[in-house]
Amino acid sequence: MAPYLWKLIPILLVFGGILAIVPLLVYLERKICALIQERMGPNRVGLFGPDSPLEVFGFKMGEKRVLGGLLQPLADAIKLIAKEDIIPPQVERYLYEFAPFFALLPPFLAFAVIPIGADLQVGDTAVPLVVADVGVGFLWVLAVASLSAYGVALGGWASNNKYALLGGIRATAQMISYEIGLGMALIAVAMQYQTVEPVSIVAQQVEGGFWHWGIFRQPLAFMLFLICAFAENNRLPFDLPECEAELIGGYHTEYSSMKFGMFFQGEYIAMLTMGGLLATFFLGGWHYPFYEAIREGAGPLIATLLSLVSFGVKTMAFVVFSMWVRWTLPRFRYDQLMRIGWKGIIPVALANIVLTALINIR
Amino acid sequence: MAGGHGHGHGHGHDGHGAATPTPVLPSGAFLAPGNVELNWVEKMYLPEIVKGLGNTFSHLFKKTFTVDYDGTHREDPRKFHVPSEGYRGEHYLKKDEAGHVKCVACFMCAAACPAECIHIEAEAVPADWKDRERYPKRFEIDLLRCIYCGMCEEACPVDAIALSTTYNVVSETRESKVYARERLLQRGEELGISMSKHQYRPDGIPGHVPEQKQSH
Repeated sequence: MAPYLWKLIPILLVFGGILAIVPLLVYLERKICALIQERMGPNRVGLFGPDSPLEVFGFKMGEKRVLGGLLQPLADAIKLIAKEDIIPPQVERYLYEFAPFFALLPPFLAFAVIPIGADLQVGDTAVPLVVADVGVGFLWVLAVASLSAYGVALGGWASNNKYALLGGIRATAQMISYEIGLGMALIAVAMQYQTVEPVSIVAQQVEGGFWHWGIFRQPLAFMLFLICAFAENNRLPFDLPECEAELIGGYHTEYSSMKFGMFFQGEYIAMLTMGGLLATFFLGGWHYPFYEAIREGAGPLIATLLSLVSFGVKTMAFVVFSMWVRWTLPRFRYDQLMRIGWKGIIPVALANIVLTALINIR
Repeated sequence: MAGGHGHGHGHGHDGHGAATPTPVLPSGAFLAPGNVELNWVEKMYLPEIVKGLGNTFSHLFKKTFTVDYDGTHREDPRKFHVPSEGYRGEHYLKKDEAGHVKCVACFMCAAACPAECIHIEAEAVPADWKDRERYPKRFEIDLLRCIYCGMCEEACPVDAIALSTTYNVVSETRESKVYARERLLQRGEELGISMSKHQYRPDGIPGHVPEQKQSH
Protein backbone atom coordinates (compact mmCIF):
# COMPACT_ATOMS: atom_id res chain seq x y z
CA MET A 1 0.00 0.00 0.00
CA ALA A 2 1.19 3.48 -0.78
CA PRO A 3 2.72 5.17 2.27
CA TYR A 4 0.42 8.19 2.14
CA LEU A 5 -2.57 5.90 2.62
CA TRP A 6 -1.20 4.98 6.05
CA LYS A 7 -1.58 8.65 6.87
CA LEU A 8 -5.34 8.08 6.83
CA ILE A 9 -5.06 6.15 10.10
CA PRO A 10 -3.97 9.07 12.31
CA ILE A 11 -6.24 11.45 10.41
CA LEU A 12 -9.30 9.29 11.02
CA LEU A 13 -8.27 8.62 14.60
CA VAL A 14 -7.78 12.29 15.43
CA PHE A 15 -10.70 13.89 13.66
CA GLY A 16 -13.14 11.02 14.05
CA GLY A 17 -12.17 10.71 17.67
CA ILE A 18 -12.67 14.39 18.39
CA LEU A 19 -16.06 14.52 16.70
CA ALA A 20 -17.17 11.39 18.54
CA ILE A 21 -16.05 12.63 21.93
CA VAL A 22 -17.56 16.13 21.78
CA PRO A 23 -21.17 15.00 22.46
CA LEU A 24 -19.86 12.94 25.35
CA LEU A 25 -18.23 16.07 26.77
CA VAL A 26 -21.52 17.93 26.64
CA TYR A 27 -23.13 15.14 28.66
CA LEU A 28 -20.19 15.08 31.05
CA GLU A 29 -20.29 18.82 31.57
CA ARG A 30 -24.00 18.81 32.38
CA LYS A 31 -23.65 15.81 34.67
CA ILE A 32 -20.68 17.24 36.58
CA CYS A 33 -22.46 20.57 36.90
CA ALA A 34 -25.55 18.82 38.26
CA LEU A 35 -23.64 16.69 40.74
CA ILE A 36 -21.72 19.67 42.09
CA GLN A 37 -25.00 21.51 42.54
CA GLU A 38 -26.62 18.38 44.05
CA ARG A 39 -29.03 17.94 41.18
CA MET A 40 -29.77 14.93 38.98
CA GLY A 41 -28.62 16.24 35.61
CA PRO A 42 -29.79 14.72 32.34
CA ASN A 43 -31.21 11.30 33.21
CA ARG A 44 -33.92 10.47 30.68
CA VAL A 45 -32.81 9.85 27.11
CA GLY A 46 -30.70 6.73 27.37
CA LEU A 47 -30.08 3.57 25.39
CA PHE A 48 -32.36 1.51 27.61
CA GLY A 49 -35.52 2.32 29.45
CA PRO A 50 -38.84 3.92 28.64
CA ASP A 51 -37.33 7.10 27.13
CA SER A 52 -34.99 5.35 24.75
CA PRO A 53 -35.00 6.84 21.25
CA LEU A 54 -34.95 3.27 19.91
CA GLU A 55 -38.56 2.94 21.04
CA VAL A 56 -39.40 5.20 18.11
CA PHE A 57 -38.31 2.39 15.83
CA GLY A 58 -40.45 -0.14 17.63
CA PHE A 59 -37.82 -1.75 19.86
CA LYS A 60 -38.94 -2.44 23.41
CA MET A 61 -36.06 -1.29 25.59
CA GLY A 62 -37.36 -2.35 28.97
CA GLU A 63 -38.71 -0.45 31.93
CA LYS A 64 -35.48 0.34 33.75
CA ARG A 65 -33.31 3.31 32.81
CA VAL A 66 -29.63 2.50 32.46
CA LEU A 67 -27.20 5.38 31.98
CA GLY A 68 -30.13 7.65 31.29
CA GLY A 69 -29.18 10.97 29.72
CA LEU A 70 -26.25 9.55 27.79
CA LEU A 71 -28.07 10.18 24.51
CA GLN A 72 -29.24 13.62 25.56
CA PRO A 73 -26.53 15.29 23.39
CA LEU A 74 -27.94 13.35 20.41
CA ALA A 75 -31.36 14.77 21.12
CA ASP A 76 -29.82 18.22 21.51
CA ALA A 77 -27.99 17.89 18.21
CA ILE A 78 -31.19 16.86 16.40
CA LYS A 79 -32.94 19.80 18.00
CA LEU A 80 -30.19 22.23 16.93
CA ILE A 81 -30.18 20.97 13.35
CA ALA A 82 -33.96 20.94 13.05
CA LYS A 83 -34.45 24.40 14.51
CA GLU A 84 -35.18 27.43 12.40
CA ASP A 85 -31.96 29.20 11.43
CA ILE A 86 -32.80 32.83 12.06
CA ILE A 87 -30.58 35.34 10.26
CA PRO A 88 -31.38 38.79 11.63
CA PRO A 89 -31.80 41.44 8.92
CA GLN A 90 -29.12 43.78 10.26
CA VAL A 91 -26.20 41.34 10.04
CA GLU A 92 -23.23 41.49 7.68
CA ARG A 93 -24.31 38.40 5.82
CA TYR A 94 -21.08 36.83 4.57
CA LEU A 95 -19.01 37.32 7.69
CA TYR A 96 -21.98 36.22 9.80
CA GLU A 97 -22.18 32.93 7.92
CA PHE A 98 -18.41 32.55 7.92
CA ALA A 99 -17.66 33.13 11.61
CA PRO A 100 -18.91 29.77 13.01
CA PHE A 101 -16.58 27.91 10.66
CA PHE A 102 -13.70 30.03 11.87
CA ALA A 103 -14.58 29.12 15.44
CA LEU A 104 -14.70 25.42 14.60
CA LEU A 105 -11.66 25.03 12.37
CA PRO A 106 -8.60 26.27 14.36
CA PRO A 107 -8.83 23.76 17.23
CA PHE A 108 -8.95 20.95 14.67
CA LEU A 109 -5.91 22.34 12.86
CA ALA A 110 -3.98 22.74 16.10
CA PHE A 111 -4.58 19.10 16.92
CA ALA A 112 -2.77 18.10 13.74
CA VAL A 113 0.72 18.35 15.22
CA ILE A 114 -0.05 16.46 18.43
CA PRO A 115 1.18 12.86 18.52
CA ILE A 116 -1.67 10.80 19.92
CA GLY A 117 0.09 7.46 20.36
CA ALA A 118 3.20 5.37 19.90
CA ASP A 119 4.15 4.37 16.35
CA LEU A 120 1.83 1.79 14.86
CA GLN A 121 3.79 -1.20 13.53
CA VAL A 122 2.30 -2.58 10.32
CA GLY A 123 4.61 -5.22 8.95
CA ASP A 124 7.96 -3.45 8.83
CA THR A 125 6.61 0.06 8.40
CA ALA A 126 6.14 2.24 11.45
CA VAL A 127 3.14 4.57 11.08
CA PRO A 128 3.56 7.60 13.33
CA LEU A 129 0.24 8.45 14.94
CA VAL A 130 0.44 12.16 14.24
CA VAL A 131 -1.38 13.91 11.43
CA ALA A 132 1.41 16.32 10.52
CA ASP A 133 4.89 16.17 11.99
CA VAL A 134 5.88 19.66 10.89
CA GLY A 135 9.25 21.25 11.59
CA VAL A 136 7.82 24.43 13.10
CA GLY A 137 6.27 22.35 15.88
CA PHE A 138 4.21 24.20 18.41
CA LEU A 139 4.66 27.49 16.56
CA TRP A 140 1.99 26.03 14.29
CA VAL A 141 -0.24 25.54 17.33
CA LEU A 142 0.24 29.12 18.47
CA ALA A 143 -0.31 30.49 14.96
CA VAL A 144 -3.50 28.52 14.47
CA ALA A 145 -4.81 29.16 17.95
CA SER A 146 -4.58 32.90 17.21
CA LEU A 147 -7.00 32.35 14.34
CA SER A 148 -9.75 31.27 16.71
CA ALA A 149 -9.93 34.87 17.94
CA TYR A 150 -11.14 35.70 14.42
CA GLY A 151 -14.14 33.43 14.72
CA VAL A 152 -15.24 35.18 17.88
CA ALA A 153 -14.37 38.68 16.71
CA LEU A 154 -16.02 38.26 13.30
CA GLY A 155 -19.09 36.67 14.86
CA GLY A 156 -19.39 39.56 17.27
CA TRP A 157 -18.86 42.24 14.66
CA ALA A 158 -20.97 40.75 11.89
CA SER A 159 -23.95 40.33 14.21
CA ASN A 160 -24.30 44.12 14.30
CA ASN A 161 -25.45 43.92 17.91
CA LYS A 162 -23.83 45.86 20.72
CA TYR A 163 -23.72 42.92 23.11
CA ALA A 164 -22.21 40.64 20.52
CA LEU A 165 -19.70 43.32 19.58
CA LEU A 166 -18.68 43.85 23.21
CA GLY A 167 -18.26 40.10 23.59
CA GLY A 168 -16.18 39.96 20.44
CA ILE A 169 -13.93 42.83 21.56
CA ARG A 170 -13.43 41.30 24.98
CA ALA A 171 -12.64 37.93 23.47
CA THR A 172 -10.08 39.40 21.10
CA ALA A 173 -8.32 41.38 23.85
CA GLN A 174 -8.38 38.42 26.21
CA MET A 175 -7.13 35.87 23.72
CA ILE A 176 -4.31 38.10 22.50
CA SER A 177 -3.24 38.88 26.08
CA TYR A 178 -3.16 35.30 27.20
CA GLU A 179 -1.53 34.01 24.03
CA ILE A 180 1.60 35.84 25.12
CA GLY A 181 1.61 33.98 28.41
CA LEU A 182 0.86 30.71 26.64
CA GLY A 183 3.69 31.22 24.16
CA MET A 184 6.17 32.21 26.87
CA ALA A 185 5.32 29.15 28.94
CA LEU A 186 6.00 27.04 25.86
CA ILE A 187 9.29 28.85 25.18
CA ALA A 188 10.55 27.57 28.52
CA VAL A 189 9.46 24.07 27.52
CA ALA A 190 11.27 24.42 24.20
CA MET A 191 14.41 25.53 26.03
CA GLN A 192 14.14 22.57 28.37
CA TYR A 193 13.86 20.01 25.58
CA GLN A 194 15.95 21.93 23.02
CA THR A 195 13.27 21.53 20.34
CA VAL A 196 9.92 22.91 19.25
CA GLU A 197 8.59 19.70 17.71
CA PRO A 198 5.91 17.99 19.81
CA VAL A 199 6.92 14.57 18.49
CA SER A 200 10.48 15.10 19.65
CA ILE A 201 9.38 16.54 23.00
CA VAL A 202 7.22 13.48 23.63
CA ALA A 203 10.06 11.17 22.53
CA GLN A 204 12.37 12.76 25.10
CA GLN A 205 9.77 12.37 27.83
CA VAL A 206 9.29 8.72 26.88
CA GLU A 207 13.02 8.02 26.87
CA GLY A 208 13.63 9.77 30.16
CA GLY A 209 10.75 8.04 31.90
CA PHE A 210 8.25 9.35 34.41
CA TRP A 211 10.46 11.95 36.09
CA HIS A 212 11.29 13.58 32.76
CA TRP A 213 7.68 14.60 32.16
CA GLY A 214 7.27 18.31 31.60
CA ILE A 215 5.24 18.76 34.76
CA PHE A 216 8.31 17.83 36.84
CA ARG A 217 10.84 19.56 34.60
CA GLN A 218 8.84 22.77 34.17
CA PRO A 219 6.26 23.00 36.98
CA LEU A 220 5.97 26.76 36.70
CA ALA A 221 5.42 26.59 32.95
CA PHE A 222 2.77 23.93 33.59
CA MET A 223 0.85 26.23 35.93
CA LEU A 224 1.12 29.15 33.52
CA PHE A 225 0.03 27.01 30.60
CA LEU A 226 -2.92 25.68 32.58
CA ILE A 227 -4.16 29.16 33.47
CA CYS A 228 -3.65 30.49 29.96
CA ALA A 229 -5.40 27.44 28.54
CA PHE A 230 -8.54 28.37 30.47
CA ALA A 231 -8.34 31.91 29.17
CA GLU A 232 -7.70 30.79 25.58
CA ASN A 233 -10.74 28.53 25.69
CA ASN A 234 -12.91 31.30 27.12
CA ARG A 235 -13.82 29.03 30.01
CA LEU A 236 -14.63 30.14 33.50
CA PRO A 237 -13.12 31.90 35.39
CA PHE A 238 -12.19 33.72 32.17
CA ASP A 239 -15.44 33.46 30.23
CA LEU A 240 -15.94 37.19 29.85
CA PRO A 241 -16.67 36.97 26.10
CA GLU A 242 -19.86 35.03 26.86
CA CYS A 243 -20.84 36.45 30.20
CA GLU A 244 -24.57 35.65 30.26
CA ALA A 245 -25.34 38.19 32.95
CA GLU A 246 -24.06 41.28 31.14
CA LEU A 247 -23.78 40.30 27.49
CA ILE A 248 -26.65 37.80 27.09
CA GLY A 249 -24.43 35.35 25.24
CA GLY A 250 -21.65 37.58 23.97
CA TYR A 251 -20.53 36.93 20.43
CA HIS A 252 -23.09 34.20 19.73
CA THR A 253 -26.12 36.19 20.89
CA GLU A 254 -27.49 36.51 17.37
CA TYR A 255 -26.73 32.97 16.29
CA SER A 256 -29.33 30.25 16.30
CA SER A 257 -29.75 26.68 15.19
CA MET A 258 -26.63 24.81 14.11
CA LYS A 259 -24.58 28.01 13.70
CA PHE A 260 -24.81 28.39 17.45
CA GLY A 261 -24.15 24.67 17.64
CA MET A 262 -20.89 25.16 15.78
CA PHE A 263 -19.68 27.81 18.23
CA PHE A 264 -20.67 25.45 21.01
CA GLN A 265 -18.87 22.54 19.39
CA GLY A 266 -15.82 24.69 18.72
CA GLU A 267 -15.56 25.48 22.42
CA TYR A 268 -15.46 21.81 23.35
CA ILE A 269 -13.03 20.91 20.59
CA ALA A 270 -10.79 23.74 21.79
CA MET A 271 -10.91 22.19 25.25
CA LEU A 272 -9.85 18.83 23.83
CA THR A 273 -7.04 20.48 21.87
CA MET A 274 -5.75 22.31 24.93
CA GLY A 275 -5.94 19.04 26.87
CA GLY A 276 -3.96 17.34 24.12
CA LEU A 277 -1.32 20.07 24.16
CA LEU A 278 -1.09 19.94 27.94
CA ALA A 279 -0.65 16.18 27.83
CA THR A 280 1.97 16.47 25.10
CA PHE A 281 4.14 19.13 26.71
CA PHE A 282 3.73 18.37 30.40
CA LEU A 283 2.23 14.94 31.00
CA GLY A 284 4.49 12.83 28.81
CA GLY A 285 2.21 12.67 25.77
CA TRP A 286 1.05 9.14 25.17
CA HIS A 287 3.65 7.72 27.55
CA TYR A 288 2.54 5.53 30.42
CA PRO A 289 4.40 3.62 33.15
CA PHE A 290 5.90 0.26 32.17
CA TYR A 291 5.59 1.13 28.47
CA GLU A 292 8.89 -0.58 27.61
CA ALA A 293 8.02 -3.72 29.55
CA ILE A 294 4.59 -4.02 27.91
CA ARG A 295 6.10 -3.44 24.48
CA GLU A 296 8.57 -6.26 25.11
CA GLY A 297 6.05 -8.59 26.67
CA ALA A 298 2.72 -8.10 24.92
CA GLY A 299 3.91 -6.81 21.57
CA PRO A 300 3.91 -3.42 19.89
CA LEU A 301 0.23 -3.45 18.91
CA ILE A 302 -1.00 -3.76 22.50
CA ALA A 303 1.52 -1.13 23.59
CA THR A 304 0.28 1.26 20.89
CA LEU A 305 -3.37 0.74 21.78
CA LEU A 306 -2.59 1.36 25.44
CA SER A 307 -0.71 4.51 24.46
CA LEU A 308 -3.85 5.80 22.72
CA VAL A 309 -5.81 5.11 25.89
CA SER A 310 -3.16 6.82 27.98
CA PHE A 311 -3.24 9.93 25.80
CA GLY A 312 -7.03 9.96 25.94
CA VAL A 313 -7.06 9.71 29.72
CA LYS A 314 -4.60 12.60 30.08
CA THR A 315 -6.57 14.77 27.66
CA MET A 316 -9.83 13.99 29.41
CA ALA A 317 -8.23 14.71 32.76
CA PHE A 318 -7.69 18.31 31.67
CA VAL A 319 -11.20 18.56 30.24
CA VAL A 320 -12.82 17.22 33.40
CA PHE A 321 -10.64 19.50 35.50
CA SER A 322 -11.72 22.53 33.50
CA MET A 323 -15.37 21.52 34.00
CA TRP A 324 -14.74 21.15 37.70
CA VAL A 325 -13.14 24.60 37.80
CA ARG A 326 -16.01 26.05 35.81
CA TRP A 327 -18.58 25.05 38.43
CA THR A 328 -16.35 26.19 41.29
CA LEU A 329 -15.10 29.66 40.48
CA PRO A 330 -16.96 32.88 39.75
CA ARG A 331 -16.01 35.02 36.78
CA PHE A 332 -13.19 37.54 37.02
CA ARG A 333 -13.85 41.19 36.42
CA TYR A 334 -12.40 42.57 33.21
CA ASP A 335 -9.72 44.64 34.93
CA GLN A 336 -8.78 41.67 37.10
CA LEU A 337 -8.47 39.55 33.97
CA MET A 338 -6.13 42.03 32.34
CA ARG A 339 -4.13 42.54 35.53
CA ILE A 340 -3.63 38.79 35.98
CA GLY A 341 -2.59 38.45 32.34
CA TRP A 342 -0.18 41.34 32.01
CA LYS A 343 1.07 41.90 35.55
CA GLY A 344 0.91 38.34 36.82
CA ILE A 345 1.41 35.72 34.18
CA ILE A 346 3.73 37.47 31.73
CA PRO A 347 6.36 38.56 34.34
CA VAL A 348 6.32 35.10 35.91
CA ALA A 349 6.66 33.51 32.48
CA LEU A 350 9.62 35.79 31.70
CA ALA A 351 11.23 34.90 35.03
CA ASN A 352 10.65 31.24 34.24
CA ILE A 353 12.44 31.62 30.90
CA VAL A 354 15.46 33.22 32.60
CA LEU A 355 15.43 30.54 35.30
CA THR A 356 15.28 27.78 32.69
CA ALA A 357 18.17 29.36 30.82
CA LEU A 358 20.28 29.55 33.99
CA ILE A 359 19.56 25.94 34.97
CA ASN A 360 20.35 24.60 31.51
CA ILE A 361 23.76 26.35 31.13
CA ARG A 362 26.20 23.74 30.00
CA MET B 1 -2.10 57.11 49.89
CA ALA B 2 -2.64 60.28 51.90
CA GLY B 3 -5.33 61.29 49.45
CA GLY B 4 -7.09 58.02 50.07
CA HIS B 5 -7.31 58.69 53.82
CA GLY B 6 -8.56 62.18 53.19
CA HIS B 7 -11.38 60.78 51.08
CA GLY B 8 -12.24 58.36 53.81
CA HIS B 9 -13.15 61.15 56.19
CA GLY B 10 -14.50 63.46 53.56
CA HIS B 11 -17.21 61.08 52.38
CA GLY B 12 -18.24 60.51 55.96
CA HIS B 13 -19.15 56.86 56.43
CA ASP B 14 -20.72 57.71 59.75
CA GLY B 15 -22.50 54.41 60.24
CA HIS B 16 -19.32 52.66 61.32
CA GLY B 17 -18.56 54.99 64.25
CA ALA B 18 -15.22 56.21 65.46
CA ALA B 19 -14.08 52.89 66.97
CA THR B 20 -14.00 51.02 63.65
CA PRO B 21 -12.86 53.39 60.92
CA THR B 22 -13.72 52.41 57.37
CA PRO B 23 -10.83 50.26 56.10
CA VAL B 24 -9.11 51.96 53.20
CA LEU B 25 -7.22 50.04 50.54
CA PRO B 26 -3.93 51.49 49.29
CA SER B 27 -5.62 52.56 46.08
CA GLY B 28 -8.20 54.52 48.02
CA ALA B 29 -11.07 52.13 47.27
CA PHE B 30 -13.45 51.35 50.10
CA LEU B 31 -14.20 47.89 51.34
CA ALA B 32 -17.80 47.01 51.94
CA PRO B 33 -18.59 46.64 55.67
CA GLY B 34 -17.75 43.13 56.82
CA ASN B 35 -15.21 42.53 54.06
CA VAL B 36 -11.56 42.13 54.91
CA GLU B 37 -8.54 43.07 52.94
CA LEU B 38 -6.86 40.05 51.32
CA ASN B 39 -3.39 39.12 52.44
CA TRP B 40 -0.71 38.35 49.88
CA VAL B 41 -1.40 34.60 49.85
CA GLU B 42 -5.07 35.17 49.13
CA LYS B 43 -4.17 37.70 46.46
CA MET B 44 -2.35 34.96 44.58
CA TYR B 45 -5.76 33.26 44.23
CA LEU B 46 -4.28 29.78 43.82
CA PRO B 47 -4.55 28.49 47.43
CA GLU B 48 -8.09 29.83 47.65
CA ILE B 49 -8.96 28.22 44.33
CA VAL B 50 -7.70 24.88 45.64
CA LYS B 51 -9.88 25.35 48.72
CA GLY B 52 -12.88 26.05 46.53
CA LEU B 53 -12.18 23.03 44.36
CA GLY B 54 -12.11 20.89 47.48
CA ASN B 55 -15.48 22.27 48.47
CA THR B 56 -17.15 21.49 45.14
CA PHE B 57 -15.49 18.07 45.05
CA SER B 58 -17.14 17.16 48.33
CA HIS B 59 -20.51 18.05 46.80
CA LEU B 60 -20.00 15.55 43.97
CA PHE B 61 -20.86 12.63 46.21
CA LYS B 62 -23.63 14.14 48.29
CA LYS B 63 -27.21 12.97 47.99
CA THR B 64 -29.03 14.98 45.38
CA PHE B 65 -31.43 17.59 46.62
CA THR B 66 -33.90 17.08 43.76
CA VAL B 67 -36.11 14.04 43.13
CA ASP B 68 -36.10 11.92 39.97
CA TYR B 69 -39.65 12.96 39.18
CA ASP B 70 -41.48 11.12 36.47
CA GLY B 71 -44.99 11.29 37.89
CA THR B 72 -45.59 7.55 37.94
CA HIS B 73 -43.98 6.09 41.05
CA ARG B 74 -46.36 7.50 43.62
CA GLU B 75 -45.17 5.21 46.39
CA ASP B 76 -41.48 5.97 45.95
CA PRO B 77 -40.45 9.19 47.73
CA ARG B 78 -37.34 9.44 45.53
CA LYS B 79 -39.53 9.51 42.43
CA PHE B 80 -42.52 11.46 43.56
CA HIS B 81 -42.72 14.78 45.27
CA VAL B 82 -45.04 14.73 48.28
CA PRO B 83 -46.11 18.28 49.02
CA SER B 84 -46.62 19.53 52.54
CA GLU B 85 -50.16 19.37 53.85
CA GLY B 86 -50.66 23.09 53.44
CA TYR B 87 -49.95 22.93 49.72
CA ARG B 88 -52.56 24.55 47.49
CA GLY B 89 -53.23 22.47 44.40
CA GLU B 90 -56.27 21.47 42.39
CA HIS B 91 -59.70 22.32 43.86
CA TYR B 92 -62.48 19.93 44.82
CA LEU B 93 -66.02 20.20 46.13
CA LYS B 94 -67.34 18.27 49.11
CA LYS B 95 -70.62 16.49 49.74
CA ASP B 96 -72.68 16.44 52.87
CA GLU B 97 -73.97 13.36 54.70
CA ALA B 98 -76.96 13.06 52.38
CA GLY B 99 -74.64 12.91 49.39
CA HIS B 100 -75.63 16.32 48.08
CA VAL B 101 -73.14 18.98 47.14
CA LYS B 102 -72.28 20.91 50.27
CA CYS B 103 -72.18 24.27 48.53
CA VAL B 104 -75.05 26.65 49.30
CA ALA B 105 -74.37 28.94 46.33
CA CYS B 106 -73.69 32.01 48.46
CA PHE B 107 -71.15 33.39 45.92
CA MET B 108 -68.64 34.17 48.69
CA CYS B 109 -65.86 32.31 46.93
CA ALA B 110 -66.60 33.96 43.59
CA ALA B 111 -66.52 37.34 45.30
CA ALA B 112 -63.29 36.58 47.10
CA CYS B 113 -61.53 35.23 44.04
CA PRO B 114 -58.93 37.75 42.85
CA ALA B 115 -58.62 36.04 39.47
CA GLU B 116 -62.37 35.85 38.94
CA CYS B 117 -62.15 32.25 37.89
CA ILE B 118 -65.18 30.87 39.74
CA HIS B 119 -68.54 30.97 37.96
CA ILE B 120 -71.67 29.90 39.84
CA GLU B 121 -75.29 29.70 38.79
CA ALA B 122 -77.61 29.24 41.75
CA GLU B 123 -80.96 27.47 41.84
CA ALA B 124 -83.61 26.85 44.49
CA VAL B 125 -83.16 23.49 46.16
CA PRO B 126 -85.54 20.59 45.55
CA ALA B 127 -88.31 20.27 48.12
CA ASP B 128 -86.70 17.43 50.08
CA TRP B 129 -83.48 19.37 50.87
CA LYS B 130 -84.39 20.85 54.22
CA ASP B 131 -81.02 22.34 55.29
CA ARG B 132 -80.79 25.29 52.86
CA GLU B 133 -82.46 27.35 50.22
CA ARG B 134 -80.10 27.30 47.25
CA TYR B 135 -77.60 25.04 45.63
CA PRO B 136 -75.29 25.59 42.62
CA LYS B 137 -76.80 24.39 39.36
CA ARG B 138 -73.54 25.27 37.66
CA PHE B 139 -70.20 25.55 39.42
CA GLU B 140 -67.14 26.08 37.26
CA ILE B 141 -63.53 26.86 38.07
CA ASP B 142 -61.30 28.00 35.27
CA LEU B 143 -57.97 26.57 36.38
CA LEU B 144 -56.13 28.48 33.68
CA ARG B 145 -57.12 31.72 35.36
CA CYS B 146 -56.77 30.43 38.91
CA ILE B 147 -53.73 31.60 40.84
CA TYR B 148 -54.12 28.98 43.61
CA CYS B 149 -54.28 31.58 46.36
CA GLY B 150 -56.79 29.57 48.41
CA MET B 151 -59.02 32.54 49.14
CA CYS B 152 -62.14 30.65 47.97
CA GLU B 153 -61.41 28.08 50.63
CA GLU B 154 -60.98 30.81 53.25
CA ALA B 155 -64.20 32.54 52.20
CA CYS B 156 -66.50 29.52 52.12
CA PRO B 157 -68.86 29.59 55.14
CA VAL B 158 -69.77 25.89 54.91
CA ASP B 159 -66.40 24.46 53.88
CA ALA B 160 -67.72 23.17 50.60
CA ILE B 161 -64.69 24.03 48.49
CA ALA B 162 -61.11 23.18 49.28
CA LEU B 163 -57.74 22.92 47.62
CA SER B 164 -56.09 19.52 47.47
CA THR B 165 -52.39 18.77 47.32
CA THR B 166 -52.66 17.59 43.71
CA TYR B 167 -50.06 19.61 41.84
CA ASN B 168 -49.85 17.67 38.59
CA VAL B 169 -52.47 19.63 36.69
CA VAL B 170 -51.38 19.10 33.11
CA SER B 171 -53.84 18.62 30.29
CA GLU B 172 -53.82 18.83 26.53
CA THR B 173 -56.67 21.22 25.84
CA ARG B 174 -57.77 24.51 27.31
CA GLU B 175 -61.37 23.33 27.56
CA SER B 176 -60.49 20.48 29.85
CA LYS B 177 -58.99 22.89 32.36
CA VAL B 178 -62.41 24.39 33.11
CA TYR B 179 -63.66 22.12 35.86
CA ALA B 180 -67.43 21.73 36.13
CA ARG B 181 -69.36 20.85 39.29
CA GLU B 182 -69.39 17.10 38.62
CA ARG B 183 -65.68 17.03 37.95
CA LEU B 184 -64.95 18.89 41.18
CA LEU B 185 -67.19 16.56 43.21
CA GLN B 186 -65.59 13.59 41.56
CA ARG B 187 -62.12 14.85 42.45
CA GLY B 188 -63.18 15.01 46.07
CA GLU B 189 -64.44 11.45 45.94
CA GLU B 190 -61.29 10.26 44.24
CA LEU B 191 -59.22 11.80 46.99
CA GLY B 192 -61.43 10.03 49.56
CA ILE B 193 -61.99 13.20 51.51
CA SER B 194 -65.29 14.32 50.07
CA MET B 195 -67.51 13.28 52.96
CA SER B 196 -65.42 14.65 55.77
CA LYS B 197 -67.42 16.96 58.00
CA HIS B 198 -66.78 20.60 58.76
CA GLN B 199 -63.06 20.80 58.76
CA TYR B 200 -60.84 23.57 57.62
CA ARG B 201 -58.44 21.34 55.69
CA PRO B 202 -59.88 17.81 55.80
CA ASP B 203 -57.04 16.44 53.73
CA GLY B 204 -54.68 17.37 56.55
CA ILE B 205 -53.72 15.31 59.54
CA PRO B 206 -56.12 15.37 62.55
CA GLY B 207 -54.98 17.93 65.02
CA HIS B 208 -54.10 20.42 62.36
CA VAL B 209 -57.67 21.69 62.25
CA PRO B 210 -57.85 25.23 63.58
CA GLU B 211 -60.22 25.76 66.52
CA GLN B 212 -62.16 28.72 65.17
CA LYS B 213 -63.23 27.09 61.97
CA GLN B 214 -64.69 24.05 63.71
CA SER B 215 -67.25 26.09 65.55
CA HIS B 216 -69.61 26.87 62.67
